[in-house]
Amino acid sequence: MTTEISTVVLCPRCGTSPVAGDRFCETCGADLRERPAATASGTADHVEITLDGGGAAVSDREYVRTRNEDAVALKSVDAAEAPLRAVAVVCDGVSSVRSSELAARAAADAALDVLLEGTAGEGHTRRAVAAAAAAAAALVPRGTPEPPACTLVCGVHDLADGVLTVGWVGDSRAYWLAEPGAAEPARLLTADHTAEAAAAAGTLDPALAAVRPDAITRWLGADGDAEPDLVALTPAGPGALLLCTDGLWKYLPDADVLAALALPALRSGGPHAAAAALTAAALTAGGADNVTVAVLPVHLHQEER
Amino acid sequence: MTPSGTAVEAEFTVPARFTLHTDQNPYLAPGTTRVDAVVTVNATGGGAPADAVEIIVVDCSGSMAGEKIRSARRATAAAIAELRDGVAFAVIAGDHRAQQVYPDAGTARADERTRAEATQRVGLLRADGGTAIGAWLRAARGLADRHPDAVRHAILLTDGQNGEDAPVFTRAVQSCVGTFTCDCRGVGTDWRVDELRTVSSALLGTVDIVARPEDLAADFRALTGAAMARNVPDLWLRLWTPQGAVVRFVKQVAPAVEDLTDRRVAAGRQRGAYPLGAWGAESRDYHLCVDVMPAAVGKKVRAARVDVVRGDGLYGDDALAEANVIAEWTDDASRSSAIDPRVAHFTGQVALAGAIADGLAAREAGDVPRAEERLDEAVRLAAESGHDDTARLLGGVVEVLDVKTGTVRLRPDADKAGAMALDARSTRTITVGRTG
Repeated sequence: MTTEISTVVLCPRCGTSPVAGDRFCETCGADLRERPAATASGTADHVEITLDGGGAAVSDREYVRTRNEDAVALKSVDAAEAPLRAVAVVCDGVSSVRSSELAARAAADAALDVLLEGTAGEGHTRRAVAAAAAAAAALVPRGTPEPPACTLVCGVHDLADGVLTVGWVGDSRAYWLAEPGAAEPARLLTADHTAEAAAAAGTLDPALAAVRPDAITRWLGADGDAEPDLVALTPAGPGALLLCTDGLWKYLPDADVLAALALPALRSGGPHAAAAALTAAALTAGGADNVTVAVLPVHLHQEER
Repeated sequence: MTPSGTAVEAEFTVPARFTLHTDQNPYLAPGTTRVDAVVTVNATGGGAPADAVEIIVVDCSGSMAGEKIRSARRATAAAIAELRDGVAFAVIAGDHRAQQVYPDAGTARADERTRAEATQRVGLLRADGGTAIGAWLRAARGLADRHPDAVRHAILLTDGQNGEDAPVFTRAVQSCVGTFTCDCRGVGTDWRVDELRTVSSALLGTVDIVARPEDLAADFRALTGAAMARNVPDLWLRLWTPQGAVVRFVKQVAPAVEDLTDRRVAAGRQRGAYPLGAWGAESRDYHLCVDVMPAAVGKKVRAARVDVVRGDGLYGDDALAEANVIAEWTDDASRSSAIDPRVAHFTGQVALAGAIADGLAAREAGDVPRAEERLDEAVRLAAESGHDDTARLLGGVVEVLDVKTGTVRLRPDADKAGAMALDARSTRTITVGRTG
């Protein structure tokens, strides 16, 4: 790998101050948890985020949607006491419900706040998802019909022990990306919470599922079932964790294809180039949905030492 | 070794649990810079009692003769009875100079014997001589200096105007800043509220009138009890602000208004500290106002980080608690124009204190229209905020013709003690709970 995890992140606003594990810059006060610039509608149409070597994310409004309802939050921490960790959260506002971009934004922020603190692990990720669900549910008074809703997928890379912990609710996905024949082969890590999947598992009448096979069965929001599924992985070789909304995987579902698109860009231009390459590929493939992509590069744990 | 250096085991303070809470509307209109926030500093869970010094300064000038000096003796005895075993204490009799009443020099450690001896000496206090408050304060400072790490508190009682030249008095007050906190009490109506407020404000204490001498003992007992309950001797509020920011003001707004803006001392890069004095299990509120460099719509910055530290950790990173003040720019006017309810409430309380001070000053100067205009505003603000104590005191000074529009007329027969109480208590505020 050519990219390195940096232990010093410079402030994106004033560019001068070394910042260690702090939420705000010690010189200019800038919010170091990079996130979409808000417009009148609450989210930006095109957002790019790069951490110095720590990961990157791109979120884009595609051709059909009127608003970008996805939200992404990304941060690496290097608190003196806590182990260095890289964290990413991707949320996708449910398009059938009004104001869901607000739910996506609130959920991504709330999850990130939890993920940046404490000891990484399953309970940690569950708490983050619970906080995100509460934040999304709190947007409207109880009993509001069709409350804002969103999906969530989050990844934590604990650089002390090399463990990746992924949690998700809904149909946003996490992929492990690696070179062909790698020790840790590229694959889809998550299983969508959709009607189709529920029918396959025998928990939903197939006839019902056939009406909207891609309808999600779990989501964050006041009326949602926000029980996350979790997966933990200690990669046996280098690669990258990809988090994405269905705006990417609907067009490019295959892990090997995604890896073939992302990894050359990651090698030559870093995680931001990888995220940009994937977004561009989704657009080329005829993207009709918001696409949000976050890439966290993963080095071999042994190489870190 | 001090004369009082008997072997008393030092009781070191176990840190009380501090919390800071920010109330603010973080949203700013594009291009605007002003950020307002109310930060509540709260300590719970006490911790062990700290080493403490209590100095009682009793005016023994000639005017105290009669019921006043008898009440002062009883009140001082009541304060002495309230002292916890092991607390250092001293009693000073003030006239044109400061005379140490008990012990002969330095401070004594409170126990059964010293309390009895001190009470006996206090019973012999005579009223005779002048009033030199600056000299009394300097004497108290000399005693406080012997106990640099203790919670150091003084009660100062007077019934008359200070006889010292203004510069002498001012220099004496300034020399005591940061060495002890001082609660000031005036008995009768011949003392000046502004003089005692100069002392109590600089020395982070309170000022009040005790109109009836017989109420003095209960007041002294309460003041001593409150001082004993404080176990963090020297607390400071620190304020970090981003580069290019300007601190407009830092004011304590509850339990009483005290402008701390000019008491800032540097405490590291982009950081200043403001003295809060001694602290116990209590809660106080501070209104901060900072101008920050504007950023683009959608950007969020930390406009201030507020923390509290001990005096010996002014430059360190060991904050007892901290909180953020945020600024976030939005073009949604409904968000940026909203004023946080607690910020609004305390802004009103500060305006109320200012209206009373202006109104009473104008009344003193014989400017009736100005006095009625300002006290009119005070009546309205007191009613709006539900400040019943102040509303009642205002009612003694002005006749309220219409509460709603706040039309008032000065009472020609206003009771002097009532007007002084209004003046002395004008900075006291009431607090409101949080919503949502």
